[in-house]
Amino acid sequence: MSNFNLTLSPSQIEYVLKPEVTIIQTYEITNNSSDSINLNTEVLPWIPSDTTGSVNYTQAIANPNIIFSLGNSDLQLGQLFTLAPNTKKQLVLKIKTNSNITLADSYYTFFITQNLTTTSSKENFSQASGKIGSHILLTVSDVENPKVESTIQNISIFPKIKDVFFRPINFSGQIKNNSDFFFKINGKITITKNDKTIKEFTLNSDNVLNHYARNFSCSDQNGCQLKTPLWPGHYNVNITLDSSLNSKSYDTSFYILPISPMLFLLLITGLFFGIKKIKTKSRV
Amino acid sequence: MNQMNKSFFFILILSTIFYLKPNILFAQTFDSDSYHIDFGNFNMTSGKKNSANYTLTDTVGQNAPGQYDSAGYTVKSGFQYLYQQNIPLSFVISNLDLNFGYLTLNIGSTVTNTLTISTPTGHGYDILAIANHPLKSIGGNSTIPDTKCDSNTCSESISDIWTNNSTYGFGFNANGDGTSSYFPNNSYFRQFADDSNSETAQIIMSESIPVENHSALITYKINIPSNQTGGTYQNSINFIAIPKY
Repeated sequence: MSNFNLTLSPSQIEYVLKPEVTIIQTYEITNNSSDSINLNTEVLPWIPSDTTGSVNYTQAIANPNIIFSLGNSDLQLGQLFTLAPNTKKQLVLKIKTNSNITLADSYYTFFITQNLTTTSSKENFSQASGKIGSHILLTVSDVENPKVESTIQNISIFPKIKDVFFRPINFSGQIKNNSDFFFKINGKITITKNDKTIKEFTLNSDNVLNHYARNFSCSDQNGCQLKTPLWPGHYNVNITLDSSLNSKSYDTSFYILPISPMLFLLLITGLFFGIKKIKTKSRV
Repeated sequence: MNQMNKSFFFILILSTIFYLKPNILFAQTFDSDSYHIDFGNFNMTSGKKNSANYTLTDTVGQNAPGQYDSAGYTVKSGFQYLYQQNIPLSFVISNLDLNFGYLTLNIGSTVTNTLTISTPTGHGYDILAIANHPLKSIGGNSTIPDTKCDSNTCSESISDIWTNNSTYGFGFNANGDGTSSYFPNNSYFRQFADDSNSETAQIIMSESIPVENHSALITYKINIPSNQTGGTYQNSINFIAIPKY
């Protein structure tokens, strides 16, 4: 029973390049299985497909001014090779930018694809195969830190009715990149009550690609979640990004209401008066 | 030299030997086919501590840990950074040969295999699937069409329940880590995206956090009617693992 068991490292590279330069990136691919495997390489462009970090290959167009090739003496991009069982191979990817390239981002995946061996089985049969990819995020710019602009958007605080007990308060939202260059989220959510900080969440440093939005997440163990119980009252929420991301901070607020204690008191009061009424009726 | 002086010199020599005796130091080494690196870091204590709920990795007393940035380089110094980078992107498909054997009419035949993935710090993953074409007879043009499930609604991007023996076709279910958004439970099936019909690979397993050895059981199901043309039916299915950017 053959299997596919590959490791690819690194899983993502991020470079800021000037026009007319060549960089070299080494990848290490490991065949962890006990069978030889026939492999091929390819580089495909992509665009983000949603706000979670997934990608779309079908609508992406390759930048003609970025040229990929393999620097291995015995291998070219798109050429079949065999990796013996439990062995590693270094693949040297060359990335060259032409002089007339537009200053903007380009996104690609370096794929290692299993080449299927033809089966001549006389059984009803599906042949599975594997493919593993490493993302390449390229910024072509004249400067090391190109200027970026961002917006905090679609902020949501739920549940809508916030009680002092039971359900925790969750914060979600997106960071929109309004520039031509990707950046990493660097910011925090601060929750205050009566000017006293109740909780501060650090946002995870996920990539936000050019002119796309990305859902933010928090590095806290429970994500962007404020645990109950909470004192009733008015809470302020401030979301701030690092000044280098050129974003306005976002302010909102919410109320925590003592709904469950009130319901409990109403229930007790109702029971008290109900029992009293029944007792009065039974005496009459 | 009297006996007392002899004893004094003997003790002095012994003390000198004891003082100059080399101490054994423990340091990390790394080996590959081409290199041997003696890791130049000495610390008081380090390692991995486990309890029922937590795993803690630590290094105490280490020199100059941290991230150092310059115009052209970033150096991440310290064992804790090495721990972060220890999990590379890896992808395992447990069985590539999905042999359905002899197909019985009106009774679904199933085979299974397992997908397992690990991703590095800072990345979740997507696993996509696509078939080269529907199950097609060797040397002929007959196909076992992709299932539309019991309510005639499922496609390559929509799952639905398939339990009825009078529902025919070929489909699959994924059950395990990262599959609940695509298959609510193991009675839900969907079609493979069909490359020959210009359909695009669809995500079948996805998580937004770094994972280690997360897996899902893939169940492939064929059910054929009595009027299915005889023959041997085959296709190939490609699973694609990529990190979240």
